[in-house]
Amino acid sequence: MFNTRRTFLKGAVSLAGAAALPGIVKAADAQVINYGGSAWLGHYPAYIGIKSGLFAAKGLDVKWQSFGTSSARMSAMLSGGIDVACTGIVSALALMARGSKHFSIVGVPEDFGRVEGLFVRSGITSIQGLKGKKIGVTFASSSHMLVLDLLASAGLSPDRDVSLLNVPAPELPAAFQSNQIDAAAAWTPQFNRIRSMPDIKLLADDTGFSLYKQYGVTPGPDVLVMRRDFAGKNADAARKFLQAYFEACTMLRDKPDQAAKYLTELTNLTLQDQIATIKDATWYDAAQQKALLTTPGKYVDGLQKLAEMLVTHKQIDKAPAVRDWTNVNYL
Amino acid sequence: MVLNKQQGRHPGFLVISCISVLVFLLIWEAACRFELVDQIFLPSPSAVLERCASMFREGTLMGHVLASTRRVMIGFLVATLLAIPLGIVLGTSRVARAVFDPILSFLRPLPSMSWIPLSLLWFGISETQKYSIVFMGTFAPALLYVIDATRNIDPLLIRAARNLGANRWQVMREVILPGSLPQIISGFKVILGLSWTCVISAELVAAKEGLGFLIMNGKEFFQTDAVVLGMVMISVTVLITDIVLRKIENKVLAWQR
Repeated sequence: MFNTRRTFLKGAVSLAGAAALPGIVKAADAQVINYGGSAWLGHYPAYIGIKSGLFAAKGLDVKWQSFGTSSARMSAMLSGGIDVACTGIVSALALMARGSKHFSIVGVPEDFGRVEGLFVRSGITSIQGLKGKKIGVTFASSSHMLVLDLLASAGLSPDRDVSLLNVPAPELPAAFQSNQIDAAAAWTPQFNRIRSMPDIKLLADDTGFSLYKQYGVTPGPDVLVMRRDFAGKNADAARKFLQAYFEACTMLRDKPDQAAKYLTELTNLTLQDQIATIKDATWYDAAQQKALLTTPGKYVDGLQKLAEMLVTHKQIDKAPAVRDWTNVNYL
Repeated sequence: MVLNKQQGRHPGFLVISCISVLVFLLIWEAACRFELVDQIFLPSPSAVLERCASMFREGTLMGHVLASTRRVMIGFLVATLLAIPLGIVLGTSRVARAVFDPILSFLRPLPSMSWIPLSLLWFGISETQKYSIVFMGTFAPALLYVIDATRNIDPLLIRAARNLGANRWQVMREVILPGSLPQIISGFKVILGLSWTCVISAELVAAKEGLGFLIMNGKEFFQTDAVVLGMVMISVTVLITDIVLRKIENKVLAWQR
């Protein structure tokens, strides 16, 4: 019996080892990529890529790291903690303005311009009507840029004519409801919450931004950035990552119902709300990337103008040459 | 050589301290100039000075300093003005201590940042919200300092005053308050430093000026020179207020010297 048990144990261990071996080999072979994300919609493609196995199918082991803000995410990229991330362009431009050559812009996941905008109480009918009013906006965000641009286009000074209050995005609906502010600039999901309030109307969304009509650039578009050192040493992995990433973007655009199922765990939205949020944004696929990021090109020119606008509004000290940071070699 | 009587320090030490600071700044500047350190991670002293000069010229720097100082002073003063009488009562009455001790024990370990969500609901995005954060972060520690100072009064002095016919109010005013004041004031100097950490928390949310805002906004735009400038200005302001407090202490407690 002793012999039988020993034989049985040997056999079981061998079988378990044989079963686990392909997995172990696969995990050992897989190229690890650290991705900086959050529940914001700009990170949906990466999350879907992880959950649906799109990255794994390319031999990539993409590890998800969560960050509260774009600046925190970019700081992690500077220190080498993450290799790839989606970020609001304002944060990337600020870092570029400081001369950081640590990263490149390698993709544009989406355009969320129709789910970001300026809400006012129903008595206010124009931007000029905001004179003397309190506007709640999250400083250093795309909404902040939108407000500064709208005020400038109406000839209003953000320092003298209105009172701009720095309100964190999650607090904006409550600040509106409790009459602490007369207007608020917000992006989804706060955008959707404010839109559903009574006696509140949308005065302008990102399509009212001065650079939108000419360049198709919203106040703070999302961009996909990659650490240069990582991409330089792992060009093949960088290419595979982008292939899988834009397959996820295609799924978001063409099969939102299927994509939504992977995302509810990340966002805690109901399936119905999740599908609606996906549909609110315009998702770009791989074929569209070169048109967006090649220089000279309309979109990059728009980003350059945005950088100059940030200087005009004293958000950054100098405008970086955006083309020096775009890279389409891995597409 | 003559000793500096007030500070009790040899003047030679002041020279050594100045040289030490200068050498430190020179090494820091050289490390940045020779690119041993990336300026995004640590800006050079000259870059910080440049940022300081440009913000001073624009008139924004003093605005940040004054906004934070105002918030600290109001929050701190309200906390201390309430803490002194309440602390004396709690320090002298066992019953009052039994009533309030559990509540104090609950409040004392709470960091000022933990009050931000509630203060936003109670006071909205107003200045009162900022004052309340400073108040909540400093009140419990200030109260404990006063209680402790009151309880350290020699019971013989209190008994002697009572034997001489002093009533409860007179004992408090003539014996307990002057007796505990030196310890209260030295405790409040510590609390003032603490209230500066609170104001930074307060300015993380819904502020558009103040040194906390300067630091956080600098962080958002990777303007590390502005971040370091904000930190330096906090230290300088705390040092100045500490000197002012020491002067007040010397005047108020002249009898103690």
